[in-house]
Amino acid sequence: MESTRAITEMILEEARKSAEHILQEAEKSAEDIIKKQKQRGVQRANEVAKILLKKAESEAALNKLNSVANSKIKAKWVILSKKETWIDNVLREAKNELKTLTQSEKYFSILENLITNAGVILGGKKLEVLLNMHDSALPLRFDALAKEIGEKTGFETKLNLSKETTQVIGGAIVRTADGRIIMDNTFDDILRRREKELHSEIAKILF
Amino acid sequence: MLVLLRAFKAIKEKHLEAKKIVEEATLRAEKLMNEAEQKALKLYEEAYKTTLSQAEKKAMELERKAVREAEHELAKFLSVAEAQAKGIETKAKKNFKKAVHSVLNMILP
Repeated sequence: MESTRAITEMILEEARKSAEHILQEAEKSAEDIIKKQKQRGVQRANEVAKILLKKAESEAALNKLNSVANSKIKAKWVILSKKETWIDNVLREAKNELKTLTQSEKYFSILENLITNAGVILGGKKLEVLLNMHDSALPLRFDALAKEIGEKTGFETKLNLSKETTQVIGGAIVRTADGRIIMDNTFDDILRRREKELHSEIAKILF
Repeated sequence: MLVLLRAFKAIKEKHLEAKKIVEEATLRAEKLMNEAEQKALKLYEEAYKTTLSQAEKKAMELERKAVREAEHELAKFLSVAEAQAKGIETKAKKNFKKAVHSVLNMILP
């Protein structure tokens, strides 16, 4: 009887020990699973974060480069704009001076020269001269000018003042009698034609 | 003979009891593991979100830093440009009349 009790006690004791061992192992595994999953979460996030940060770094660097380039452009624009303003001021003042000049005695010969030059460029013959309202009233020596053009071109030349007038500061438009070829020697057109050259010259002197 | 039978019966009963103890422990262990897996999944997500959120903050800080540096550069360039513009203005004022006369000389025959 005693030996039976000993055996049954041993069976129960073994079972209890096994149960305890199973639970201990389960707890250990559970802790391990939790720890490993947490590590995996951090590790996965770090991988994604690495890509994210690399992208952010490249974007930030690119944005900075763009901004710096834009800043340089803005800075250059400030200088160019200042230069452009002064060049425009000079041209405006030059136009004012030309307007004043058209009211002076000196202008008379200048206008005649402009007409003669245009006539020579057109090659003489029958030519028509267009002037502004003010200049149309001036006593210009068309016959003498025609003679000068004829001498320079080798063709007999006749100059007629057109009944049409132009809205210009001064100078003259000379055209062939058929109107097919025009030489614009007005101050306005000369300024427009030589704009690039004038800008460059003004810039050289001003700055 | 009867004694032997009783002994066998007692052993069998205890053996069943022992089996039950082990089965219960196994069930508890399985439950424990299931709970741990659920908890681990939650912790994975939390750790992932926390780490990623920190990285996102860092990325934003990088962008803000780049913007600050670019603004600083712009201010620096503009300051230099404005100083140069002042110099240009001084020179332009000084040479203004000369430039106007030069234009007239170029235009007039």
